[in-house]
Amino acid sequence: MQTGGLKKARVSAMMGVLLSWGVSSASAEIAPEVMGKSTMGEPTPTWLMVHDAVGPAYVFDSATGDMQGLLSLSGFTPAVVVNLAEGRAYAAESFYSRGVRGVRTDVLTIYDLPTLSPVGEVEIPQKIAALPFPQYIEMLDDERHVAVFNLTPGMSVSIIDVEDQEFVDEISTPGCALMMAVAERGFLQLCGDGAVQLIRLGRNGKEIERIRSDAFFSLEDDPVFDKPVQTSRGWLLTSYHGLVYEVEVDGGEISISEPWPMLSEADREADWLPGGGQLVAFHQEQDLIFILMNQDGEFAQDSPGTQVWVYNREAQQRVAQIPLTQDGTNLFVSQDEHPLLTVTGVDAQLHIFDVKTLKQVRTISEVGVAPGLLQGF
Amino acid sequence: MKIIESLLSRLDDMACRSSREIAQRSSRRRFIGKLGALMVGATAFPLLPVSRANAEPPSEMGDPQSCDYWRYCALGGTLCTCCGGSMTTCPPGAEPSPISWVGTCLNPVDNKHYLISYNDCCGKAICGRCFCHRAERDTPVYAPSKANDILWCFGTESRTYHCTVAIVLGEASA
Repeated sequence: MQTGGLKKARVSAMMGVLLSWGVSSASAEIAPEVMGKSTMGEPTPTWLMVHDAVGPAYVFDSATGDMQGLLSLSGFTPAVVVNLAEGRAYAAESFYSRGVRGVRTDVLTIYDLPTLSPVGEVEIPQKIAALPFPQYIEMLDDERHVAVFNLTPGMSVSIIDVEDQEFVDEISTPGCALMMAVAERGFLQLCGDGAVQLIRLGRNGKEIERIRSDAFFSLEDDPVFDKPVQTSRGWLLTSYHGLVYEVEVDGGEISISEPWPMLSEADREADWLPGGGQLVAFHQEQDLIFILMNQDGEFAQDSPGTQVWVYNREAQQRVAQIPLTQDGTNLFVSQDEHPLLTVTGVDAQLHIFDVKTLKQVRTISEVGVAPGLLQGF
Repeated sequence: MKIIESLLSRLDDMACRSSREIAQRSSRRRFIGKLGALMVGATAFPLLPVSRANAEPPSEMGDPQSCDYWRYCALGGTLCTCCGGSMTTCPPGAEPSPISWVGTCLNPVDNKHYLISYNDCCGKAICGRCFCHRAERDTPVYAPSKANDILWCFGTESRTYHCTVAIVLGEASA
């Protein structure tokens, strides 16, 4: 009886287990699924594009570390410009019909942001400047005309009307490179003689005005970096030896501020100098300049930075130093109330810092083959 | 060509990777110093073939496959000497760009400065070996003749970058 009772108990227990399996199996049954497509959400200030050396731009949220999507770009694309309100990104691209050879086609591609897919293209002169420079492409303030920098090595600018999706004109700009947008369909350029040049376009995208400043820096003694950053009033330039210039346009006049030094005597004695690729970032609301610095001496202007120094622009004073665990080449700061600073490390990872606490909050790894240029939305 | 640098930092062979690991732990200049010291220890200074053939004092010393070789003082790119070419010739099938940027480098053997023409070799996929970026007297892109942050495949059938050569044009002070 005892044995029979045990058997009954066991059978009962087993049935209970089987029953529970059956129940849980039924409740966990997964309905057949259909493959679909994701769309990208609305970019926030902490989102950024990370340009890979071989072309694609990875979209990440520096606040979470999560990837949001990928923009396929040509290997010659320098950077993109974005019109968030229209949900569009524009990229200058160059393609060969047989990969590395064949017939070349240069286009301005119009990408739809939610799908990160091309929705149009405009053929442009086969002259686009390659390599990642943010100011090799610029959206003018009418948000209708995009300027693309050409280098053959003769210098010129292609103007594209993105509303009508047509190429408008090629403007010759001998000795002057980059485009920095200013009011009234204008853009500034840096010139090899130490001056800046202002070009303005008419409503039809054709050049109507060109003026040039006096030379204000020496190419031989202390050139300004070819990585200007936009401030709330104009553009900020930094020299190899750490001088800061601000360039503004008021009506038809170009004004250039008296330079101020980022480096103290003690800094110079310790061999600190600016160095890196995309070495400067600026936070508009908090009026903060971020710059990569290294101690590698003269001719190390391209070498990675070991620290990020933070300056208050108005006060012209350093307010913080952020030592990097990995030397950094590129900077991006989110334009929000609690800014996050993203640094591309030589370890091919993104290192994210909380600007308020100056602490590193996360690292983003596996960002393409070789992450470089950083851009916001 | 920092884009090339970063790309190659992911594609190098083991030897280059070891060098890069040193570079990542130290600054570029300290890295070059360390590399130089290692090479002295290994007595790895080949003389140029011409010098050996004539049994004359060498006109150059150093390893042309190393970034700290004297001619590369303003080179940005990958060394053609590591890619089947030489200091003055493109690897097989690659097309020399007729347009170049220049640097002025000190030859430590005769203590003279030489004008160096850096010409990109183009039309093939990137070589992916021995990346090198040095910036002595390198200028920003708005002054391109001495700027190495430019893809210098101009005047070629294809703009695709393969590697870079370093050709002596003459004594800089001559």
